[in-house]
Amino acid sequence: MLARGVGRSSVFQTLKVMLTPGRYGLERWSYVLQRVSGVVVSLYFIAHVLETGNFVGGITVWGVPEYSFAERAYEETVKLLKNPVFDVGLAVIGFLVALHTINGIRLILAHFGFSLGRPRRPEPFSPPPSFSTKQRAIFWLSISLAVFALLYTLDSLMRVFRP
Amino acid sequence: MKERDLMLLHYITGIGILVFGSIHIATVFLTYPFQGTIWETTLRFDSIPYAILPVYRNALLAASLFGLLLCTTIHAMNGLRSIIAELIGARKRWVETLLVAVGAFLLVYGTRTILIANALV
Repeated sequence: MLARGVGRSSVFQTLKVMLTPGRYGLERWSYVLQRVSGVVVSLYFIAHVLETGNFVGGITVWGVPEYSFAERAYEETVKLLKNPVFDVGLAVIGFLVALHTINGIRLILAHFGFSLGRPRRPEPFSPPPSFSTKQRAIFWLSISLAVFALLYTLDSLMRVFRP
Repeated sequence: MKERDLMLLHYITGIGILVFGSIHIATVFLTYPFQGTIWETTLRFDSIPYAILPVYRNALLAASLFGLLLCTTIHAMNGLRSIIAELIGARKRWVETLLVAVGAFLLVYGTRTILIANALV
């Protein structure tokens, strides 16, 4: 048992419901994308701090090393990271960061009452008033900028769109 | 801390990431001369203005990197905490303790990297 009255199967059930937004509206998709992108980018952040730590010699180095030692450690780490798998992975991170950022700004605006629709009686099959036209526009802006970030990162790392 | 205060902290650190992260992305991805790839330009160790080491050596850019590290650590750990709380339906002390420990390690280790690179000549 993980908590009083909450078993492991209940957690998996919640996860399954959380990750299957298909038959719900766009707001639910934005909810899922925000959480998935948050978790993936958080894991990337942990890996990035560890990886940049290796650039100056790793966890055993706690003083300022010789310049040549640091340069060698940097070159070895770059040799490991400079391959298409990591390049594509970094482009996906660029996509998720851009999406999480703009969608996060949309959520902050909604939380403080900006860009929300007028309050009205809920009608069956109609979109929720909280996800107003402005909110939907910001969501689609986040998707567009995320695609741009993906392509820009791919090009800057792998020179995909330049001769 | 109350959930309300934690969410406010989440938003403030999110805006901090937007500011400091923009500087970080700009120094790595937007300053290269669009010739070759960033592996051959800004991701070089030294000897050109926006290579990795000159960025860390500059006190203002190093301070902005520390700001990014601090805001991202708080934002990421608090985000993971809220997602786990949503999944299991309650706030658990052991989860929060683990996330604080991971966050403290990232802060110490990341600050060490920034300070070493800043002093490297």
